Amino acid sequence: MKPAIAITGGPGGFLRRFRNNIACLRYEPTILVAVVLTLLLTYLVLVPLGSMLLDTIRVTLKDSATTGMERGSFTTYFLQRTLASRVSRVLFWRPLLRTLLVSFFVALIAIPLGALMAWLTIRTDLPGRRFVSSVMVIPYMLPSWTFAVAWLNLLKNRRMGGAPGILENLGFIPPNWLSYGPLPIIVCEALHLFPFAFLLFGNALRSVDIQLEESARVLGAKRSVITRRIILPLLKPALMSALLLTVSRVLGSFGTPYLLGSVVKYHLLPTALYNSFKVGSPGVAAVIASATILIGVLLVTVDTWFVREFKRYITMGGKGAMKRTTPLGGWRIPAGGLAALVVFIAVVLPLGTIILSSVTMQAGVIKPGNFTMAFWVGKEIPAMPGQNGVFFNKEILLAALNSLRIAGFAALIAGLSGLMVGYIVVKLPNTAIATFLRQVSFLPYLVPSIGFAAACLSFFAVARGPIPSLYGTIFLLVLVMSMKYLPFAARSGIAAMMQVGNEGEEAARICGASWLTRIRRIVVPIQKHALLTGIVLPFITGMKEQSLVIMLASPGTEVLTTQILRYIEYGYSQLANATVLTIVALIFGLTFALERITGGNLASGFGGSN
Amino acid sequence: MATIELKHVDRTYGGGVKAVDDLSITIESGHFVSLLGPSGCGKTTTLRMIAGLDAPDGGEILLDGKTLYSKREGLVVPTEKRGMGLVFQSYALWPHMTVAQNVAFGLEMKGMERKAKILRVGEVLELMHIASLEKRYPAQLSGGQQQRVALARMLAVSPDVLLLDEPLSNLDAKLRLEMRVELKRLHETLGNTVIYVTHDQLEAMTMSTKIAVMNEGKLQQYSAPMEIYQKPANLTVASFVGNPPMNLVRKNGSAGRSGEPAWDLGILDCFAGPKAGARTIGVRPEDILLIRPGSRPTHSGEAAYWIRRARVETVLPTGSEWIVGMETGGVRFFASARDEPCCLDAGEVDMAVPIASLHVFCEDDTRMKLS
Repeated sequence: MKPAIAITGGPGGFLRRFRNNIACLRYEPTILVAVVLTLLLTYLVLVPLGSMLLDTIRVTLKDSATTGMERGSFTTYFLQRTLASRVSRVLFWRPLLRTLLVSFFVALIAIPLGALMAWLTIRTDLPGRRFVSSVMVIPYMLPSWTFAVAWLNLLKNRRMGGAPGILENLGFIPPNWLSYGPLPIIVCEALHLFPFAFLLFGNALRSVDIQLEESARVLGAKRSVITRRIILPLLKPALMSALLLTVSRVLGSFGTPYLLGSVVKYHLLPTALYNSFKVGSPGVAAVIASATILIGVLLVTVDTWFVREFKRYITMGGKGAMKRTTPLGGWRIPAGGLAALVVFIAVVLPLGTIILSSVTMQAGVIKPGNFTMAFWVGKEIPAMPGQNGVFFNKEILLAALNSLRIAGFAALIAGLSGLMVGYIVVKLPNTAIATFLRQVSFLPYLVPSIGFAAACLSFFAVARGPIPSLYGTIFLLVLVMSMKYLPFAARSGIAAMMQVGNEGEEAARICGASWLTRIRRIVVPIQKHALLTGIVLPFITGMKEQSLVIMLASPGTEVLTTQILRYIEYGYSQLANATVLTIVALIFGLTFALERITGGNLASGFGGSN
Repeated sequence: MATIELKHVDRTYGGGVKAVDDLSITIESGHFVSLLGPSGCGKTTTLRMIAGLDAPDGGEILLDGKTLYSKREGLVVPTEKRGMGLVFQSYALWPHMTVAQNVAFGLEMKGMERKAKILRVGEVLELMHIASLEKRYPAQLSGGQQQRVALARMLAVSPDVLLLDEPLSNLDAKLRLEMRVELKRLHETLGNTVIYVTHDQLEAMTMSTKIAVMNEGKLQQYSAPMEIYQKPANLTVASFVGNPPMNLVRKNGSAGRSGEPAWDLGILDCFAGPKAGARTIGVRPEDILLIRPGSRPTHSGEAAYWIRRARVETVLPTGSEWIVGMETGGVRFFASARDEPCCLDAGEVDMAVPIASLHVFCEDDTRMKLS
């Protein structure tokens, strides 16, 4: 038992103090890790966002060439042009209005549908309710743009070019309003989003104790009164969350409006932003991106406020939380039919058209003799010069490799940083640095994907100091994706660390274990499931990410999801569909594997941004 | 040898809360010292500072005269190098390691070779009577077993100083008694210095060789258990130690704590010694003799008694003793007796207290020395 630091010298000598502090850091470097992480997050999250906000009033290189204003000077020109000029209607206001309109109708379909399905599967004797409720999360796991691809498979007409859809081949030529524009966008988004409402209402319904209803019945309330005065008020928080989530999802999703709206120039904010970035002025794009961020922040703020407001609504699922179902009686068969129809439209039909489409020689023509495996294993596909089937296709394989690499590294970075944020929050509670890390790691959640991508693109595309321009590199995609997924990873990291607490590591300190030993032998093994989940979930989300990568991908850094868009633009719809299936298979395989390993139900933990 | 000295140790948390306030205490080698006090009194903080998990804001901590922490010299010996043992309230067993692996960890950190390690682990598990559990994981153990593993893990490295942070508070009453016996036995066999944090006076009283009573970050009294009980240094100690607590009455006219009625302390006249400055009188429940109104205590001999009439409010038999609640002069008194008091049916009794058993406290709430 001897003091570790035997440095001679006068008491209180600066050198001695300093050396002692350094020596202590070796044993307890948490603060060092926290400082590094803080600097990193500041640079990767705060600075790009701030820089983009600044770009709304600052002239960029490209804009200085087109407008003749001096680069770097400040102006309100872009704000005026986007918000109050002759073109602002087209640039901003119409897409905004349409976004809100689409969100409204999506919510109108998705929320009642999700709530109804939740009620049917949880509170009634619906035939096959277990099956229905497990299948119901599939549309949620599918990438949102899957539905748009399936819609085109089924209902595409000649306008878009390329092969027409299945219905047109069967002799029914869909009118434009059915093939493109608001209606298909609304339906596709609603089909993707109603499982959100299903899960939210399901959880809420499960937490409502049946005794609450029974108390009302004992006091003489009728069924309708109980529903109106007891159940519905208790579901209000779920309703608000579902509503806000719907708007925020529509605001952040790019693929669906791009595939179904662009042909008829029906633009929502994400596609308008994309267009401004690709062909228009960076200043205008910055204004639109800032607007989406503003709306995103607003939505989350309102949601947080509601959650807090409704805290007093939290129902205690005490011992008496019995499960009791309402018999549907004569409605049992029609209700079962409805559930089957929903499963068919939301799961079977889209996946079916995609599978079909990937194995038909002439796209969308269903007749014997037209089936082929060429798009999977063929070489030199006729009518598609230079294209092989998925398994031999250089473009697809490169995109797949990119997807795996990008999502993989991003997930690794997000998962590890998330856990580190959790570690620091638990180790240094109530410190400014922990609060800062917690809040900054949450910030990307407020920002719609495409807005975040825009911010990072404009910041990292230019060489800054020692860091070269990252445009066209995989590195850029990895950085952006890891930061965008950090909120999920950090939240689960904090929860996991909180749950386990600090004492396990302290016990190891007492035993004389160094920091690295503690991390290696105590912290990581204890948190291995949390770590695995924190990495695999962002990985899965990353594999299907489109909104975030669409602006960042360039030739050579195309990923599977952007490659699909290219193929659809070329009219190679079978290849596109085969690629979609590849992604879907990867997602389901990984999810299944993760569920088997961690023993948890991940469906409710899914939080993709597209 | 392991003597721990704390000199003027301070610890202030964010928001200016003084968790530990100018604490000076010497814990002699081989002693079993309890830090006793209500929650938030700074006892756990003190323990964590000794362990090195928390750094003081000022003062010095020494182990056998060697500095572990010194504000003046800017010196901190990290936890890892202090070579102490600490058992947490939550046990903090590593859930991914078996019992044997948990116990072996500290030995591995010391670089002990495999054979010796296995031997030592077996020895310690034997000592704690848990040899049969070595292959199990913590989740497969009961609370009492986890407790034993947590102790074994720390005892394995034979620390000179063993720190225990409310180790028994998560056990049920029966197990707690069993573990108290066990801890006392261990201390007597191993002879290391033990610092034991608890808010349970029974634990402190039964196991310790010395108790340090703390309140609001300050050391109130540091003495042997019976001394703490029989001669509490101040009102805080007097009211915290003892169950049912000491009956306290305040002198007329002095500012009492809110809600406490002031009382005529005519009994002070019983004392021959100095009375100036006396403010509060304390009576232990078991020192109160309940007698029929107007009678004299039997076997009173030549002892002087203070006698006062009281109205019986409630009788609480616990099985081993009788606790009687009474009211007199606006103050509730509790008396406890081993045998059923004889005279409760009348609704009124006389409380008789030997003058020698009275505790008197000065205006600054410290114990008054009476000649």
